[in-house]
Amino acid sequence: MTKDRSDVLQGTLDMLVLRALQLEPMHGWGITERIEQWSEHVLQLGQGTLYPALYRLERQDFIRSEWRVTDNNRRARYYSLTARGRRHLNESLAQWKRMSRAINLVLDAVN
Amino acid sequence: MGALIDAWRRLRALVRRQELEDRLDDEIRFHVEQQVEKNRRGGMAPDEARRQALIRFGGVEQVREGTRDEFRAARLEHFARDVRYGLRSFCHHPAFSAMAVLSLAIGIGANAAIFGVVQTMLFRASPLTQPETLVNIYETEGGRGFNPMSHPNIEDLRKGTTQVFSGIAASTFFPAPIDSSGTATIVMGEVVTGGAFALLGVEPLFGRAILPEDDVARGGHPVVMLSYGYWQRAFGADPQVVGRTLRLGGRAYTIIGVAPAHYRGAFPLLTPAFYVPMAMANELMGVEMLSQRNSHSFFVKARLAPGVTREQAEHSASLVAESLTRARPEGWVPGERFSLVSTSDVQIYPGVDPLLRAAALLLGGVVGLVLLLACTNLASVLLARTLDRGREVAVRRALGATRGTLVRQLLVESALLGFGGAAAGLVLALALLHVLVSIDLPLPYGLKLDLNFGINSTLLFNWRVLAFTAGAGVLTGIVLGLVPALQGTRADLNSALKSGSRGSDAPGPLRWRNALVVAQVAMSLVLLVGAGLFLRSWQQMLSVDPGFGRAPTSVLSLMMPVARLTPDQTVQRTRRVLERFRALPGVEAAGLVWPLPLEFAASFTDFTIDGRVLPSDREAFRADRATVDGAFFDAAGMAIVAGRTFGEGDRRDTQPVAVISQAMARRYWPNGDALGRILRRPDPAEPDLVVVGVASDINVRSLGEAPRDVVYENYAQGHGSPMFNFVVRASTDPARITPALVAATREIDPDLQVVQSTTMAQHLAMSRLPSQIGAFMLSVFAATAMALAAIGVYGLVRYTVAMRTREVGIRMALGADAADVSRLLATNGLRLVLIGGAIGIAGSLLVARFISTLLFGVGRFDPIALIGAPFVLGVVAWLAAYLPARRASRADPLAALRTE
Repeated sequence: MTKDRSDVLQGTLDMLVLRALQLEPMHGWGITERIEQWSEHVLQLGQGTLYPALYRLERQDFIRSEWRVTDNNRRARYYSLTARGRRHLNESLAQWKRMSRAINLVLDAVN
Repeated sequence: MGALIDAWRRLRALVRRQELEDRLDDEIRFHVEQQVEKNRRGGMAPDEARRQALIRFGGVEQVREGTRDEFRAARLEHFARDVRYGLRSFCHHPAFSAMAVLSLAIGIGANAAIFGVVQTMLFRASPLTQPETLVNIYETEGGRGFNPMSHPNIEDLRKGTTQVFSGIAASTFFPAPIDSSGTATIVMGEVVTGGAFALLGVEPLFGRAILPEDDVARGGHPVVMLSYGYWQRAFGADPQVVGRTLRLGGRAYTIIGVAPAHYRGAFPLLTPAFYVPMAMANELMGVEMLSQRNSHSFFVKARLAPGVTREQAEHSASLVAESLTRARPEGWVPGERFSLVSTSDVQIYPGVDPLLRAAALLLGGVVGLVLLLACTNLASVLLARTLDRGREVAVRRALGATRGTLVRQLLVESALLGFGGAAAGLVLALALLHVLVSIDLPLPYGLKLDLNFGINSTLLFNWRVLAFTAGAGVLTGIVLGLVPALQGTRADLNSALKSGSRGSDAPGPLRWRNALVVAQVAMSLVLLVGAGLFLRSWQQMLSVDPGFGRAPTSVLSLMMPVARLTPDQTVQRTRRVLERFRALPGVEAAGLVWPLPLEFAASFTDFTIDGRVLPSDREAFRADRATVDGAFFDAAGMAIVAGRTFGEGDRRDTQPVAVISQAMARRYWPNGDALGRILRRPDPAEPDLVVVGVASDINVRSLGEAPRDVVYENYAQGHGSPMFNFVVRASTDPARITPALVAATREIDPDLQVVQSTTMAQHLAMSRLPSQIGAFMLSVFAATAMALAAIGVYGLVRYTVAMRTREVGIRMALGADAADVSRLLATNGLRLVLIGGAIGIAGSLLVARFISTLLFGVGRFDPIALIGAPFVLGVVAWLAAYLPARRASRADPLAALRTE
């Protein structure tokens, strides 16, 4: 792990993956790229965690997957949110916001 | 539902595993290629781009493995892993594991055994048809007691209740000698009224049951129906048995059928070997059974006529009793009533059922308590162990294990312990049940207590018992594991790693556990003292001299064919038997007696003495009575201390004479002038007796009793008795002359039934049996309680040790030596033992007061029991406290500091 990259905690990884899939179905590589891009290259997903997370989320019925053909005619596994996953994402986001606001309040508190 | 879907997915995933592997490979390949392309777009050479992409991706194999974890049936595998881990950890702590399993096994085993017995008794299907319309009928005096009925009363009741009962069945039991070459086998026979089987709805296994036609003429129906068990034992389950004969009372009885296996006779606990018609009762028992109204021997069941309630039947029966009271036939006690009890409400006998239920409740309570104690032990050991592993837990959490994973791991371990305890408990329960049903008390006259309520080993593999045991074990494990697991994993990660803080030392539970240890110690001490007192009592009893039968002596009980013989003929017959016995080699003396001293049959006689004033509330003096011949005293090893014994000159046509016991002579004639005095007897059937001799005192009713007043009557001057005990003193092993005695009897008269052949030593052992059983049972309970208390103390000290390892390290670093430390650690445990011990001693003194009447030759302040029991408990408790403490103190102080 290098200094300029932050590791993604497990609970948040699931949330990030779901968030990445919120707009459109994507393949694994696309999810990595999207998260890296959004985080301005701070968050880089280790593949060692991405694929287990994808399979886990699929098993939990938060996402589903199917083979599709990419723009340049390659076969890839595309993941998309299920209704359950969408609900779960919203809950996680709400909780995360509460949490981070609370942490920020503490950090910004004037001594 | 979600869990079900999840399980289905996993199952499907197992099947589709290869498919998923391929899919993952494709995805990884695609991913890497995308990265290569990106790298090339960034200007890398093709080789470099691929190399960088693979580096970026990380270990392909790790990714595969990590992902596989997700689609494999992961939870199942985790469970298997937890089980493996748990088993390994038990192997590392064999003492702990064995203790926990043993503790639980005792608790669960005792419970399963009791549950087994109770469930057989409760769930036992009645072998009778429509048991709800059957009632048991007893005679009561003044509304109290449940006496068997007499035959004339049954007949009157039958006549007066034809409207309410569709039928009445009666039966009774008798010891039946079975003729078989050379040896006398005694079995229980049951006489039944002819319609009994039809009324109860018991169909024979084959052949036919006893019918009303078999019960018409007195002595005219020599037919017999075998019980299932006896048919199995004695006839090897021969299907051709019908038509064969069985010799009973010197007469051949035709076997007409075999009763089904599930029918065990009219009286629970006493399963007869066979059934014969009531018409044969007088002949088989050698006494008049059927015509005497005061001979209460019959157990009665009646079936309510359709539409009749028990209350209506009760009313009809009370009318019969009232008319009998008005008519006052001989033998009817005015005010006597008939009492109806629903057959399905009767477990054994209404008189003893409340006692039985109380005993069952008490027993259930005791074994429940045992399980509770076992569980407390397990809980405190588990908690101590979880805290011991505080560091391991912290490290594993730091490495990313979730609390759930750890709790699951700990729960699997405690459930495994529970399961182990259940398995061991089942084995224990099996052994206990086996012992219970194979108890063969050496009861006289072929009486067999049938404790086998259909219990057998297959019963334990009955699903109810299995489910109960396994459920109890696993549930106990999980419930007991939950608190320590949650407590042990709650500790804050940082502080746990840094300081080794072991979570909260919740004072509430600790105090509770302390109290339980105190209770355990106190209870086991009470039981130990009780066991000690009973053991001492038994030991005293072994050394008691009953005053007779010290020499090797054989006892043969013979039944006379009185129905065939006049009293004089009976006397002649017995005299011939005695003469033959005396002529046998190895025989030194032979006499006869009825009843045998120290036998449960007691006989007494009332008398007055000229010139001696009776107490105001008494109409006569009373003394124990025995009918003997002149040689009995010599044969039994007694002494004639004054006067003479009975001789040839004492005949039916001369003055009836008596020998009395020394105690009686001393009480009524303290000046030593008992000889020649007259015992006047108010009963017109009994002649007055002249005292001709005084015999040395013996124990008549119980071993070691104060000498009683006994009147010995001369059998040659009496009415004759259906049964006599021949007492034969031998110069050799009495068991060796018994066959010769039996053979001699047969030669004189084949109809002389050998009801029992035993030795005096065996007979005396029987009278010690109650205290022996008491001592044995209490010892077992006491040992169990002590073992549990020891485990409890051990667990507590072990817990203390776990909590204070750091303190120990500091103390030792500061120079405390091992002895100081182990003393420090054991102190709390020993303090509890002392408190428990003090309470226990107080409790034992209290309990000893209640059981002192059951004790023999031992005061309730018996020093050996009162000092010995606490000493034994003290040593055991001290070991239980000291061993874990010492182990902790042996630890290297540096290591002890570091573990924290």
